[in-house]
Amino acid sequence: MSSLEAIVRELRKAARRALGARYAAHALVGAVAWVAAVMILVRLVPFERRAELAVLGIPVALAIAAAAWLIRRPSAALLMAMADIRLGLKERLSTAWERRAESGPLDDAQRHDAVQHAARASLPAAFPVRVNRGEATLVAILAIFALALALLPNPMDQVLAQRQADRVSQARAAKAVADAKKKIADSGKPSPKDAQIQKILQDAQAKIHEADSPRKALESITPAEQQLQKLADPGTPALQSSAQNLANALSGTAAGRSAAQAISTNPAKGAQSVRDLASQLQSLSPKDREELAKALAKASQQAQNSQMRDSLSKASSSLQSGDAASAAQALNDVASQLDSLQEQENTDQAVAAAINGLEAARQGLAAQADRDANGQGGQANAGASPSAGASGNGNGTGTRTGTGNGNGSGTGNGTGTGGTGGTGGTGGTGSNGSGTGSGSGAASTERIYVPGQPVPGQSENDPTPLGPGQDVPLSPYTQVIEAYQQAALDATDQSLIPGSERDLVREYFSQLGEPRAAK
Amino acid sequence: MIAEEPRVDATRVTELAQSLETELARLIVGQKALLRDTVIALTAGGHVLLEGVPGLGKTVLVRSLGQTLSMSFSRIQFTPDLMPADIVGTNIIGDTDGRREFHYQAGPIFANLVLADEINRATPKTQSALLEAMQERTVTVGTQTRPLPSPFFVLATQNPIELEGTYPLPEAQLDRFFFKILVPFPSEGDLLEIARRTTGDSTPQLKSVADAGAILTAQRTAREVPIAEHVLRYAARLVSATHPDRSELDSVRRYVRWGASPRGLQTLVLAGKVRALLEGRYNVAFEDLNSVAQPALRHRIFLQFEAEADGITADRIISEILEHTAKEPASK
Repeated sequence: MSSLEAIVRELRKAARRALGARYAAHALVGAVAWVAAVMILVRLVPFERRAELAVLGIPVALAIAAAAWLIRRPSAALLMAMADIRLGLKERLSTAWERRAESGPLDDAQRHDAVQHAARASLPAAFPVRVNRGEATLVAILAIFALALALLPNPMDQVLAQRQADRVSQARAAKAVADAKKKIADSGKPSPKDAQIQKILQDAQAKIHEADSPRKALESITPAEQQLQKLADPGTPALQSSAQNLANALSGTAAGRSAAQAISTNPAKGAQSVRDLASQLQSLSPKDREELAKALAKASQQAQNSQMRDSLSKASSSLQSGDAASAAQALNDVASQLDSLQEQENTDQAVAAAINGLEAARQGLAAQADRDANGQGGQANAGASPSAGASGNGNGTGTRTGTGNGNGSGTGNGTGTGGTGGTGGTGGTGSNGSGTGSGSGAASTERIYVPGQPVPGQSENDPTPLGPGQDVPLSPYTQVIEAYQQAALDATDQSLIPGSERDLVREYFSQLGEPRAAK
Repeated sequence: MIAEEPRVDATRVTELAQSLETELARLIVGQKALLRDTVIALTAGGHVLLEGVPGLGKTVLVRSLGQTLSMSFSRIQFTPDLMPADIVGTNIIGDTDGRREFHYQAGPIFANLVLADEINRATPKTQSALLEAMQERTVTVGTQTRPLPSPFFVLATQNPIELEGTYPLPEAQLDRFFFKILVPFPSEGDLLEIARRTTGDSTPQLKSVADAGAILTAQRTAREVPIAEHVLRYAARLVSATHPDRSELDSVRRYVRWGASPRGLQTLVLAGKVRALLEGRYNVAFEDLNSVAQPALRHRIFLQFEAEADGITADRIISEILEHTAKEPASK
């Protein structure tokens, strides 16, 4: 191996070291610049995985620099020429290398001269490992800039917190719907429309989960509620009223007392009891038959349901005419209608439970949507927002059309305190129809409907939401207010109604109770 | 080890040049650049145009050079009535063995070292006779062409002032000079030394340090000095940059009417080779080219009138070119 090649080898080694340091500095500049760029970007665009994105640039910059360092291999001629310039060898090495194969009169002397001068020089000094001052300054500036950006408050944090709160809100809403599904499935009172209800809830849950925002998620609830309401049988109240009137009528007879109690307990037991009564008609005394016929006639007159009325009328007339077989047949028809009522009630309960689940979801989503609209989305859920110290308050109003058989309206305002997330106001929410409906036409009485819970002992009560001027028997609210108040307070305890809203409900009933006490 | 003893003893060239410079310096005070450039031109086999005001020692330099070299020396004082035949010689009638016939009477140009003093005072016709001989290194009188002695070295002088009644050398003839050397006015210290040396009862007697053979050998050796490709490209870029249509320098585009010829590149490279030898090196470096660029190119760059009006000289243009021309490293 010639001396010139040894020189090249030594220069190449030094150049690799110097280039390595240079590319490492380039990589550092690139990495810090990337981090700074990410810090700027996350201030303009909400980006959650900012730390991962910032860190990602470091290995990428290092990899690019390493690849460039591996690819770039300066030629021997270039190394020699650079060594000439940097070591002041006056083109000796580059000339010697270029003419290494020449054999001119002075070529040998020139090579000899070059090797001698190279031996006296420190070849690695041609490619010193040094840090470029400009790059070092740039790295320092970029690092300080990036650090400052990382430490200063980021306006996008609030947006991210809002998104997080939105997701939590949607997840909770979806869970509320899922809970309603489970409750319906575990209720032990199957109805023929359970599958449809489950399907509607399943779809609503999916839409809530996939929605872009709580407001979008809210849009999927109303159609689901409308679909559920279509599943409820509008004739159920009339049939329930007829059954209750039958129970009331039978309760005054010796033969039908047990049947009356069974009907009051639930329609299914009532149906069985009525069938038992039908089978015992032959053995009844004439007096009992007459008493029973009258009770059935009275119930027939009060029945809202036409089939029930016809069956009761037929049973009454058959008993009066002594045709026990026909009467038994008519009572069996009544029992069948009571079975049907049981199914309808089961369906209505499932629908109500589903709607309650959707309403619970709606409340959470509406509150979050209001916070989003007020720019306080990040403070919605305690612990959901990483930012501390922010505070706010809010109020709102809302109106809801009642579900089921009632119309409801309500207004609300309030304040809430959200853990470390600061103080946030809850917007007002309107009461739903299944909750706090209030009529507007009756001055001295109110028509009140408690789903699935007929007021005991009030056969005249008409729970259907009828308008004023209609000729229907109405119950004074003073007779039902206590039961309704208890039902409402029980409902508020079980649902996701906020404490302030519960206070509102209690306040409402206490106000209603004051004039009653005054009377 | 690679190195072997060189077949051409370049060190002798270095020693010769150093001896010449040392010997001349005994009489010529200061003017180291002038001496160095003169020796370079002599070793490269080129002719020199010396320009300077009267009394700066131009003639002394040439005469001293003649003394240090064991070669024939002649001086021609150029005047307006000087005829070409006064330089190159003429055929005259002579008596040979009782017969009258023409004989060639050689002119003063038949010498190894010719001093053409105040060359711009002769008519163009006479100047042309000298310049043709400088280029061809032969003289044709009548029908016979005669070679000039070798080595043949012309040092012409001209005075930049007193231009009245002079005939400035045309561009094409200026190009035939290897170097144009400006003789600067001596420094105060040099003036004192000149006074001391020349006003005493004795003047230094120069000794001969080289003969024609040594000079010819040196000229051949100088041409063997290797030059790397990227250094050669640098020389070409320098010459190319003197042309207004190729240069990126505003000053060149604005002030230069015509740039250096290819002969300028030849001069640059050859002078660089000689300078490398004189520096004890066996290859041409960038600094060699930079060092000889002024004398090699200044008489080959022709300026616009605007340059004269703005006080821009060829030397300043060359300095700018040297400053802005990149020394690109080798690419292979």
